[in-house]
Amino acid sequence: MATAVGIDLGTTNSAIAVVEGGQPTVIASAEGSRTTPSVVAFTESGERLVGQLAKRQAVLNPQGTIYSAKRFIGRRFEEVDEEAKTVTFDVVPGPNDSVRFKVRDKLHAPEEISAQVLRKLVDDASNYLGEKVREAVITVPAYFNDSQRQATKDAGKIAGLEVLRIVNEPTAAALAYGLDRKGHETVLVFDLGGGTFDVSLLDVGDGVVEVRSTSGDTHLGGDDFDRRLVDHLADKFKNDTGIDLRNDAQALQRLYEAAEKAKVELSSVAQTQVSLPFVTADAGGPKHLTETVTRSTFEQITADLVERCLGPVEQAMADGKVSANDIDEVILVGGSTRIPAVQKLVRRLTGGKDPNMSVNPDEVVALGAAVQAGVLKGEVKDVLLLDVTPLSLGVETRGGVMTRIIERNTTIPARRSEVFSTAEDNQPAVDVVVLQGERERAADNRVLGRFQLTGIRPAPRGEPQVEVIFDIDANGILNVTARDKDTGAEQGITISESSNLDTSEIERMVTDAEANQAEDKRLREAVDARNTLDSIAYQVEKTLSDLGDNAPAHEKARAEMLVSETREALQNEAPMERVRELTDELTQVLNGLMVARSSAPPPSSGGSSATASDDDVIDADFDRV
Amino acid sequence: MTAQGNAANSAAETGAAPAQEQAPDIAELEDRWLRAMAELDNVRKRHSRELERQRTAERARVASAWLPVLDNLELALGHASDDAFAEGVRATLDQAVEVLARLGYPRQDATGVPFDPAVHEVVTVQDDPDAPPNTVVRVLRPGYGDLRPAAVAVSRRRE
Repeated sequence: MATAVGIDLGTTNSAIAVVEGGQPTVIASAEGSRTTPSVVAFTESGERLVGQLAKRQAVLNPQGTIYSAKRFIGRRFEEVDEEAKTVTFDVVPGPNDSVRFKVRDKLHAPEEISAQVLRKLVDDASNYLGEKVREAVITVPAYFNDSQRQATKDAGKIAGLEVLRIVNEPTAAALAYGLDRKGHETVLVFDLGGGTFDVSLLDVGDGVVEVRSTSGDTHLGGDDFDRRLVDHLADKFKNDTGIDLRNDAQALQRLYEAAEKAKVELSSVAQTQVSLPFVTADAGGPKHLTETVTRSTFEQITADLVERCLGPVEQAMADGKVSANDIDEVILVGGSTRIPAVQKLVRRLTGGKDPNMSVNPDEVVALGAAVQAGVLKGEVKDVLLLDVTPLSLGVETRGGVMTRIIERNTTIPARRSEVFSTAEDNQPAVDVVVLQGERERAADNRVLGRFQLTGIRPAPRGEPQVEVIFDIDANGILNVTARDKDTGAEQGITISESSNLDTSEIERMVTDAEANQAEDKRLREAVDARNTLDSIAYQVEKTLSDLGDNAPAHEKARAEMLVSETREALQNEAPMERVRELTDELTQVLNGLMVARSSAPPPSSGGSSATASDDDVIDADFDRV
Repeated sequence: MTAQGNAANSAAETGAAPAQEQAPDIAELEDRWLRAMAELDNVRKRHSRELERQRTAERARVASAWLPVLDNLELALGHASDDAFAEGVRATLDQAVEVLARLGYPRQDATGVPFDPAVHEVVTVQDDPDAPPNTVVRVLRPGYGDLRPAAVAVSRRRE
């Protein structure tokens, strides 16, 4: 099945998203950016550039660089008088009072320009997905009339796309939050983008979204906030030094970048430092711009911009005949809604409601469009609802701790296995205790069942290999099997109540584990350290007996003393420092003995296999029977 | 889930009698299974691609954060005299540029080359009778690979 994408075709920037594995995600452009400038350029050499590249040469080619095509699409020439004056390229009348852009005697319709942007987005997405993208849902502002919608659809066609549907931007935002699946609600969508501001009131519910009213300001956005900060910084600098940075292209570029960075930072911190060393120079030498900008300063110099959002919101509420109390949900769209003062205003106007902003406001429209595309393609229907294990499952191992075999939140059906061994020489059987929970200590978790695997052939500890397999089927029924790899003997248990817990109990167990995390971690480390020490002591003993009389006398005496000290320390649950100390010393001794052994005559029997097999066997233990 | 499980169990036990109509369509099940396996394979591929992408993006993010420091060091050197001290600092700057090049972000600061939007961003246009039109006549700020295009002044097209 071909993939359908969702496209947010914006005035300044556009974005494309796709539903992958049931989740909508934004696809980055070939240049690695998650949005693409809605800019198309026709160069002197006849080349056509789209997106970032077109934007980079705009200064060189102001008449051949088309931006804001969205302000012209589907409109009559006589309607766009004002807009035409604000752009650097030529806007001329076409047939039937349509709008055309004139570049070097060639006429381009706004639809063609938008088609280029769409083509670029779709090509990049096809590259990313590794398959051709042919179908798309495209968003338009809620206030677009039929002619503007049709023209946008035509742009899609020119780009070689089948436009599954034209969707309103605020509707897409509501879809991204899944509000259509909730009960009947009144939703306010507040969209402050790079250069335009839109407010919409929606009636949402039972899978239907209806636009009640819209309002906005076609020339208000994040760029205005940047400009204010640039002017503020440049004015200050001029006051201090008499130099106007706005006359220096290089300095101005650095200033814009720094201002945008400061604006973004001031959304999360109360003050920030703008630092542009060597920003310019005069006869007296280099000049530096170093300025602290507080959030309150930023709010002062942009207060009127924020206030300009007020009118349209009130207008939309009046037109939609709703009061602040009638609004159930507020959705923030557009990067500028991250500005705290803007959020404060929205709260004030909507009766103190907390706005939805968990979905990235720059991407929420494209994501919603992708969701819509997925629904139209029936992809959502195909999604199988898979369960997860609510808690981890595992077995008890040496030292009374739980070793997890299946982690919590693993999607089921699932099958995991792990190999364990014995803790004592000639251990004839192992006890398998099946545990459920998140705590490190076995006793703190729930015991789901236990069984015994017998008939293990006499062997040194660590040598037998017992494979423990956990298998949960789609219904949550857990099968645990233990198999002796040597004899093939098998024993198992079926547990059907592994998921027989209500949500509150699961939550309690998870919260418990979080609350005791630090203590549990210490406990686990202590047990692990003791196990390590025990197994080294065992190896030292074993090596000593392998060496027999070949063991160097002084090494032997020291080793024996350390081993007996270790036994005592383990018996008395000695403190960690002591355990580590003994581990270090025994490791040294073991290394010394290994050297002695490699130079000694070969031992009588295959006693060295215990250490060799330690590599691929998890050193754990089942209680001795 | 357990309720479901029990239901499935009892269905299996009593399913012997009216089996015919409830028998699952094996072809459909197999189709679903194959789809699931295919999807898993695709997720795996997508994940490895995504991982590579994230690595590249993170490397670019970290490297980009250092660019202003490099720029300022370079601007500072523009005011330095030609003593041994400045020479040492200049060597340090070269070292930093070399590090970026090794990370895959070679420096772009050539003048006299034709303007190319893939590596240049025009900041201003100049009249320069000596240069052919559309040529980079001055680099206001160097570019580094995909991190940032070089900010340049380009010669004006002659009318």
